[in-house]
Amino acid sequence: MNMDNEISLEDLSFLQLSDSFFPTGLYTTSNGLEALFYEGKLKKPKHLQDLIKTFLFQQIGPTDCTALGNVYDCINSSDLAEILRTDQMIYSMKLIEEVREASVRSGIQLLRCVNSFVLGNAILEHYQRLVKNGEASGVYPVSFAVACNSLSITKYRAGLMLLYGFTITVVAAAIRLGILQHLEGQKVIHNLKPSILSSVHSNIQKPLSSMWQFAPIIDITQIKHEQMDSKMFVT
Amino acid sequence: MKKSAFSMSPRRIPRIGIGGPVGCGKTMLIEQVVPLLSLDGYKVGIISNDVISKEDAERMRKNLATEKGLMSEDLVIGVATGGCPHTAIREDPSMNISIVEEMESKHDYLDLIFIESGGDNITTTFSPALADYFIYIIDVSAGDKYPRKRGLGIETCDLLVINKIDLAPHVGASLKVMERDAKRIRGDKPFIFVNSRTGKGTKEVASYIIKDVLFESPPWTSNKK
Repeated sequence: MNMDNEISLEDLSFLQLSDSFFPTGLYTTSNGLEALFYEGKLKKPKHLQDLIKTFLFQQIGPTDCTALGNVYDCINSSDLAEILRTDQMIYSMKLIEEVREASVRSGIQLLRCVNSFVLGNAILEHYQRLVKNGEASGVYPVSFAVACNSLSITKYRAGLMLLYGFTITVVAAAIRLGILQHLEGQKVIHNLKPSILSSVHSNIQKPLSSMWQFAPIIDITQIKHEQMDSKMFVT
Repeated sequence: MKKSAFSMSPRRIPRIGIGGPVGCGKTMLIEQVVPLLSLDGYKVGIISNDVISKEDAERMRKNLATEKGLMSEDLVIGVATGGCPHTAIREDPSMNISIVEEMESKHDYLDLIFIESGGDNITTTFSPALADYFIYIIDVSAGDKYPRKRGLGIETCDLLVINKIDLAPHVGASLKVMERDAKRIRGDKPFIFVNSRTGKGTKEVASYIIKDVLFESPPWTSNKK
């Protein structure tokens, strides 16, 4: 166990990139939650909790978290070509256009932001160059892994940040939609901590070839949300 | 794979942020000003930050692109802001910047990009990373006290537009009071009385844009010929 006085710059970087104040634009997304709300399918905090669990175990966990783990492994083995392959695979696994575009936009803005204060990190610069040249998409989990690595944040902690960040994005959207109030939101986040941990442990070490997802109702909901005429959130 | 925002042209196209409360006439002001700029050969793109619906973006697309042919339809883009329009233009403008840069990358011949966003007088202001010039618009129907209520929108904008002046007598608003307060609050910074429905005052808005944003330079495409 760490001693109480063992604090570091890496800890602060961990906090900085986990903070919802960090400018990636993720607060504009609801991941389809808004469509479920208007269909009357999300009424209680428990419904939201179950939905996020489905995301963690059936969609974001086995895709984004696995991709993030692979990027870390590629960086450790200096396999830059494999980072590009990971980028292309996870990009193509984002089935819904608006989700895919939002992921790319957030990823690129995250890269740009981190690149404004992390100087001389070869991997960060290499990946950003690939994105600039149009060879890589900049999709969020890959950008996030590259950015976290550039700040010496460890792989498992980056995995936690990714899934925790996703969770609070959905909970915050639920609060803004009025599905639950602020105290209930924190309780949902607290209740989901074991699921976040479990999803990181289950997915972060898997090889790229075992990325999978199966959440057809979420996919259909996101398609419906994408096509809504009137909406507050990006899908 | 889609061309990314990082594949942008090196040229930063001047950007104008237009903020104001819901219903104050932001969209109609743009619909009036764009044809005036177009008469001088300037080409513009529009990004509409709409909290709820695509209505404003679709209306501008129909009026300015489909019917008047002043721009291609993909030059009017609606953006959802997750219920945080102020955040989307100020403390975290990432999504807007991303879309602006995509527009710059695909349409590097543009002279201007308008970024429209709903927002109250207290908190609305554009990040300098997003917009180079800030127009804040209010209308008289909210009362003649509006300018003296101050706020970031009214105080920090480069140009204050006071719209719907034809309604002033009907809502008991005094334009003289609004003029006095706007001068007092804003000092030397300009303000204009406008009626976007009839076009009154909109030429002045276009003139400010040409002078203060475009520095009276000719359209970009004419430079390239």
